[in-house]
Amino acid sequence: MKLCLTGINHRTAPVDVRERLAFDANSLGPALADLVARPGISEGLILSTCNRVEVSVTSEDSVDPAPVIERFLAERRGVEPGWLAPYLYRYEDADAIRHLFRVASSLDSMVVGEPQILGQLKAAYAAAKAHGAVGGWMEAVLTRAFSVAKRVRTETGIGENPVSVSSTAVELARRIYGSLAERRVMVIGAGKMAELAVRHLRSAGVQRIYVTNRTLERARAMAEAFQGVIVEYDRFLDSLPEMDIVLTSSAAPFYLLRKDQMRRVIEARRRRPMFLIDIAVPRNVDPAVNELDNVFLYDIDDLGRVADANLGRRRQRAELAERIIAEEVERMVNRLKLREVAPTIISMQERLEQIRQAELARYRSRLGPLTPAQEEALEALTRGMLNKFAHGPMAELRRRAAQPEGLQTIEIIRRMFRLDD
Amino acid sequence: MHELSILWLRVAAGFYSVGMIHALLLALRRTSRLFPPALTAFGVGAILHAVSIIEQTTLTGHFPANNFFESASLCALLSALLYLFVWWRYRLRNLCMFIFPLVFLLTLIGALGSAPARWADVRVREAWLLVHVVLVLAGYAALAMTGVASIAYLIRERQIKRKEALPSSAEAPALLTLDELIGRGMTMGFVFITLGVVAGSTWASIESGARWIRDPRILISLATWALYLVMVFLRASAGWRGRKAAVMVIALAGCSAVTWAAHTGLRKLLTP
Repeated sequence: MKLCLTGINHRTAPVDVRERLAFDANSLGPALADLVARPGISEGLILSTCNRVEVSVTSEDSVDPAPVIERFLAERRGVEPGWLAPYLYRYEDADAIRHLFRVASSLDSMVVGEPQILGQLKAAYAAAKAHGAVGGWMEAVLTRAFSVAKRVRTETGIGENPVSVSSTAVELARRIYGSLAERRVMVIGAGKMAELAVRHLRSAGVQRIYVTNRTLERARAMAEAFQGVIVEYDRFLDSLPEMDIVLTSSAAPFYLLRKDQMRRVIEARRRRPMFLIDIAVPRNVDPAVNELDNVFLYDIDDLGRVADANLGRRRQRAELAERIIAEEVERMVNRLKLREVAPTIISMQERLEQIRQAELARYRSRLGPLTPAQEEALEALTRGMLNKFAHGPMAELRRRAAQPEGLQTIEIIRRMFRLDD
Repeated sequence: MHELSILWLRVAAGFYSVGMIHALLLALRRTSRLFPPALTAFGVGAILHAVSIIEQTTLTGHFPANNFFESASLCALLSALLYLFVWWRYRLRNLCMFIFPLVFLLTLIGALGSAPARWADVRVREAWLLVHVVLVLAGYAALAMTGVASIAYLIRERQIKRKEALPSSAEAPALLTLDELIGRGMTMGFVFITLGVVAGSTWASIESGARWIRDPRILISLATWALYLVMVFLRASAGWRGRKAAVMVIALAGCSAVTWAAHTGLRKLLTP
């Protein structure tokens, strides 16, 4: 049995190529049916995300699956095979297993350690399973890939630190306040960036959002989108002492919040901590505000710097993850080879049992009537002899299965015991 | 001091103690409904206090400011009168948290100057000392916990202010949690140590008469308690929290360590 994986990703193909090859949810079912119907293909899996399109198959040993997949991709997506070839990569057997483990563990992602890819791979597996496209080798590899991804995440902590500006802001808020459920957030300026940050804050549990903007219409639109409350732009300073987190993204060309104003605000709220997130360019909050006790100000560059530092940490952890994956790949390859010898072992056991039964039947009439105790002794004697006789070849078979000459050993044993007759 | 004068002073201390209970409740729960009765008791205490001083002046023919105990009593009365004036003029309520315990303790010190009492039984003496030691140790335990929380607060606050990387370990307590822990630990410790100081002062005055106040260990304890009082007052009234509160707690824990070291000799008294 062979395992082959062919595809493109964000490193090998630009976005316009990835777009052309992508499978949407509706086209996935027919494509999987087509894939496993192709000659020599036993199982198939299609993983299609915005950063990668990969097709994995298991096939009979006599078939070279890579050209089959390439033809499949070209035909299904209506492109010339020659046009596609420069963007494709191909992995086989142990390399394919390694690649699948790396993808599941998010080591091959654009943002290393991002958690979405594992969910996408699980969805691809569920779709393949639903269409009957997996059920043997591939299933074993994929379920192991999910366990490996979990192990990598737990042992390396690769996904712990956020690497986007918005999620970094949310994590910082958590480091200051713990739970965000009771926090009040004021959004000054209702741009796209603010919307993204508020979306993150909402998903982190923030309930109370107050929106203010010079243009009332935009404030209203954002307030409606997040079930927030509108605060009059001219009076937002009066409401600030009640706010725990302030997100500024206004286009104002001057500081909306200065140090003296913030000193009064922090005194009015009896010095309870306040987190200011200034994602506006030019900045809306005077950087000197960060000098005040209990006020924590992060502008867009600060957030970016923290996100970059987290990315560096992730890279260090990825090295540890690679070692885990190498170990897991070796284990998986051995397990799959053992699966290959399993049918031979079963055939051998059946063959020997047939011989035992036949010989017993032949000599039973000569022995005459036996007592139950004699019957039991005879069973134990013959079975014990066979087990001892078969132990050596079976152990050798299992041992050799993990080595390159495994197939030859299987062949010799099959011939010796006439298992193919 | 004349017997009748000391009696009035002790009754005044009793009235002032209502004020201190109010202050301790306020420190613990941030709210207390005891203010009106505490203020009334404080006023009555001040009148009786004044009566005590006038009587002492009349009987001895000179103003009672000759020794530490008389000065403490006089200082307590002046503080009480000043607070009553400020309350009448400006209705400054928060100040009571500082003034009530201070006036009570100064009056108590004044009243303990004569110390005519004797121990009824050696077991009462030892039990009394045990109560003092246990209260003070409970206060120190609260302070130690607050000190650790303060160090953790300063480290985490510095990490966030420096903006270099996300503070590690999401499981560690958030800044606000640490700040609340500091606030609660501080007030718990204050209550224990105040009660411990009252118990200890009374014990010392019965044990060694009027000489106890000259003991440097007592002076260190009183100074530490005064620092504690200032800290709790600043947190409650001026909202001192965060880094300032954490630094203050660490300083106080240092002072308490000195006080602890000065008092380790007291252990000998507990063993028969």
